[in-house]
Amino acid sequence: MQILIEPENQWADIDRASTVLNLLKKLELRPNQAVVIRNGELLTPDRKIDPEDSIVVRKIASRG
Amino acid sequence: MKCPRCKTTAAVALPSHNAGFCPECFKVFFSRQVAKAIKERQLFSKEDKILIALSGGKDSLALARELQLQGYNTAGLHMDLAIPGSSDKARDHVERFCRDFGVDLHVLEMEKEGLPIPVVEKKFNRPVCSLCGRIKRYYFNKFALDHGFNVLATGHNLDDEAARLFSNVMRWDVSHLGSQGPDLPAEQGFVRKVKPLYRLSEFETANYSFLAGIDYCYSPCPYSKGASFTYYKTLLDELEYEQPGRKISFYEGFLNRGRQAFARQDEQQGGKPRPCPGCGYPTTGEICGICRIREIMGSKE
Repeated sequence: MQILIEPENQWADIDRASTVLNLLKKLELRPNQAVVIRNGELLTPDRKIDPEDSIVVRKIASRG
Repeated sequence: MKCPRCKTTAAVALPSHNAGFCPECFKVFFSRQVAKAIKERQLFSKEDKILIALSGGKDSLALARELQLQGYNTAGLHMDLAIPGSSDKARDHVERFCRDFGVDLHVLEMEKEGLPIPVVEKKFNRPVCSLCGRIKRYYFNKFALDHGFNVLATGHNLDDEAARLFSNVMRWDVSHLGSQGPDLPAEQGFVRKVKPLYRLSEFETANYSFLAGIDYCYSPCPYSKGASFTYYKTLLDELEYEQPGRKISFYEGFLNRGRQAFARQDEQQGGKPRPCPGCGYPTTGEICGICRIREIMGSKE
């Protein structure tokens, strides 16, 4: 599964993440540290995701 | 997860409120939290003229949008810090936001003021974040006073405030603990300063900005790498994950039961500010911090 990580604008290849929570765990993020967006829609940690999905993980901590 | 208000699919999960809201209900929740902060802390009223410090990030732009929707008399001030690869992006986001949402915007350019941050950074042998913060506070306050604004609002959120409180407690900094809060009254030479987003987390302002269609700037400042606040925020995020609601109880508990004691102690021990002989800005030193920076930079006002 190809995930776009922001603000770094880097692509990550993540295997076998069936939910948003799984995905965030694999990226070593807590659910309150990023917003997860699929096709312009925000996803809660319990939502199921598919390997074909185009997903953006936008980290939210402001720095400076 | 379903929205408890309208039973549709939730878009934002909020463990600290034991709920998850759909996009429309989340915006209602956000708006109510801002209204509650303004009412409970008596931050300002519809009669006040409010200047909002706009950095271009999610918090300040969300604040500007929400206060506009709630019918307050506001305008924005952006400070262009002249940091290559960062300031131009931030300014572009602020200008587009203000144009798209019809917000009055003022811009102050630090290059023209003789204090571009990269030059300040080179001149001083210390982390530039504290100097940059000092410069921003000075100019936001000065601009508000010079242009007839009686309130200065910033987009500091719960994470900012909890991390700052944590840092102040770690050092038992009586002066800073006594003056920390979302509601600093006007004093001689200082405009009233307020933080209407203090009840809302960074996660919540990020979600609000996304849902409100705010195209905010999320590139980090190049000088912020390794800043201690970022580390404190990560620590507090862990605590909040394990014990949802800890951040707000830590901060509100301080405001309601701790702050006064520190303010009293600071009043007894601290020096009284006087106008700086160079620029009139209140200071407890011989000259204010900005005049000192200017002296060292060799660019007196």
